[in-house]
Amino acid sequence: MTRSHALAAAAFAGALLVPFVVRSDYTLQVLFRLFLFSALGLAWNLVGGYAGQLSLGHSAYFGAGAYGLALSTRLGLPAWPSVGVGILVAMLFALVIGGVSFRLRGPYFALATIACAEILRLSAKNLTGLTGGDVGAAVPALFSGQVVRSFYWSAVLLASLAAAATLAVTRSRFGYYLMAIREDEDTALSVGIDTAKTKLAALLISAALTAVAGSLYASLFLYIVPDQVFGLDISNEVAIVAMLGGVGTIAGPIVGALILETASELFKNVFLEAHLLIYGGLLVFVVLFLPDGIVGTIVRRRTLARRRAKPPRAPDHAAA
Amino acid sequence: MPLLEVDRVSKRFGGLRAVSGASFSIGEKEIVFLVGPNGAGKTTLFNLITGFIHPDEGRIRFAGTDVTLITPNRAARLGIGRTFQIVKPLGSLTVLENVMLGAFLHTASRARAAHDAREVLAYLRMEAVAAATARDLPLAMLKRLEIARALATRPKLILLDEVVSGLSTAEAMALAALLQKLPERGVAAVGGVEHVMRVVVSIANRVVVLDHGAQIAEGEPHDVVRMPAVVEAYLGAKFRERHL
Repeated sequence: MTRSHALAAAAFAGALLVPFVVRSDYTLQVLFRLFLFSALGLAWNLVGGYAGQLSLGHSAYFGAGAYGLALSTRLGLPAWPSVGVGILVAMLFALVIGGVSFRLRGPYFALATIACAEILRLSAKNLTGLTGGDVGAAVPALFSGQVVRSFYWSAVLLASLAAAATLAVTRSRFGYYLMAIREDEDTALSVGIDTAKTKLAALLISAALTAVAGSLYASLFLYIVPDQVFGLDISNEVAIVAMLGGVGTIAGPIVGALILETASELFKNVFLEAHLLIYGGLLVFVVLFLPDGIVGTIVRRRTLARRRAKPPRAPDHAAA
Repeated sequence: MPLLEVDRVSKRFGGLRAVSGASFSIGEKEIVFLVGPNGAGKTTLFNLITGFIHPDEGRIRFAGTDVTLITPNRAARLGIGRTFQIVKPLGSLTVLENVMLGAFLHTASRARAAHDAREVLAYLRMEAVAAATARDLPLAMLKRLEIARALATRPKLILLDEVVSGLSTAEAMALAALLQKLPERGVAAVGGVEHVMRVVVSIANRVVVLDHGAQIAEGEPHDVVRMPAVVEAYLGAKFRERHL
C-alpha cells in the first residue's frame, strides 16, 4: 500500500507541475477535460461501481452545478459561493431522484435515472424565464488572469479529492455496506444495513462532486445550454469512463478518462458526430469482453496468477 | 415470556394460502424446527418473521416488541439473524469480508469486525477458507457462510432456512453437531427442513409440523414423528410401516 501511496503522491505532484512545462492552452484544456472526467468517473463510481446502482442520469447533478452557478450569480451572489449553491441544488436533486429511483432495482433503476435527468433537461429547455431555455445562460468566470491553468489545477484538485474520498470510503464500514448492497441487497438487509439510507448517502457524495465538475465545465465555456449540461451525452460519458476503466476500483475511472479523452481528441476531427458510434462500440466491447473494465481485469488476472503460484489450503469439508 | 411469539399469522399470495393461522413460540436458547414438505410455508414464515414480507393477519412479537410490520434491517438490529434457503453470498467478496459485514452491526472498526468475524469462522470450522472468494466455495461451505454471516450480527435468534438441504449425510451431521452448540452461544434457533429427519431428531428441542400453510402438530421430536396426523400427511404410510 505504501508503494501505491508514493505513486499517487508523485502522480499528484507531477500533475500540478504540468502547466509549467506545457504552455499550449489547447493542450491544457484537453488535460482539463481528462481530469474533469476522471473526477466525474470517480464520483459516479461510488454509486455505479461500489454500490452497483447503474445511474445513467448523472447529468442531473452536472447540470445542477452548471445552472446553480449561472443562476445564483444572476441573483447577485459572488461566483464561488454560487458553486456552493450548485452543490446544494445537486444534493437536493439527489435526495428526490434517489428517493424515487432507489425503490427500483436493476434496469428499472437505470431507466428511472435517465427519466429524471430528461425531466430536468426538458424543464431547463422550457422554463425560459428562469434558465433562458435554448438561448442559454451566461456563466461567470471563476478565475482571472491565467485562466486555463487555473481551470486545469482545479480539475486536478477535484479529481484528487474524488480519489481521496473514494479511498476513505473503501476503507470504512460505509464502503463495505455499499459493496454488500451491490452483491446482494437482501443479504445486506439481513445483516441490518439500512440499504435505502446507505445508497442515498453514496448518491449525495457523488452528486456533490459531480456538481463541482459541472460548475467548472460551465465556467470554462462561460455559456451553457440545457442540452449540453443536462444531456444524455454527459450521463453516458461519465458512466462509460468508469465502466471502461473498471467499476469499483480507484484507478479505473482515471484510466477510463485517459483512454476516452485521448480517443475523442484523436477522432473528433475525423469522425465529427460519429464519436457517439465510438462510445457505443466501446461500451459494447467492454460489456462483452472486459466486464470488469481494464483495471478490474488486470487486478483479477494478477490475483489469479498469485493464487496459482501459491495454492490455498483445501477447504475443510470434513470439519467437525 | 417467550423470545419469539408467532400468533395466528396468515399470509396469502393471490389465491395461495402460503401460511394460515400459524402459531408457535420459541424460548431463549431453544432449538425448534419447522418441518414440512416443499410449499408448507416454512420460507414464507421466515420472511414474515424477518420483515421481508408482512402478514395479512396475526401478530409477531420478539423479545417483548411487536415486530409484525418491521423492516428487515430493523429485525436484524433487534437480534433476529437469518440465512437464505437459496444461498445469497456476497459473491465477489472474501469469506472473511462476508462475515465482517455481519460483525459491522456492532462496530464501525474494520479491525474489530475482522476479529469478530474470525471468531465466528473458527466456531464454524471455516478458518481455512477465510481468504477465498465467496462465489468459489462449494455448497456445503456456502451453507455455513450463510450461518456465519448471520451469527456475526450476534443475534438472539437465528432462522436457519434449509441449511442442511443439498448436503451429504456426513456434511449434514457435521453441521448439526455445530448447530447443537448454538444455545451455548446464547442463540436460539428456528430451523426449517424438508427432510433429513435425522438432523431434526438429533438436535431439536421441539418440532412444529406444517402442512399447506397450516400447523398440524407440535411437540418433542420423538413424539411428533409418531403422531398419526404427521405420519400420514408428511412422512407417508411407508415410514410408519418401516419405523413404528
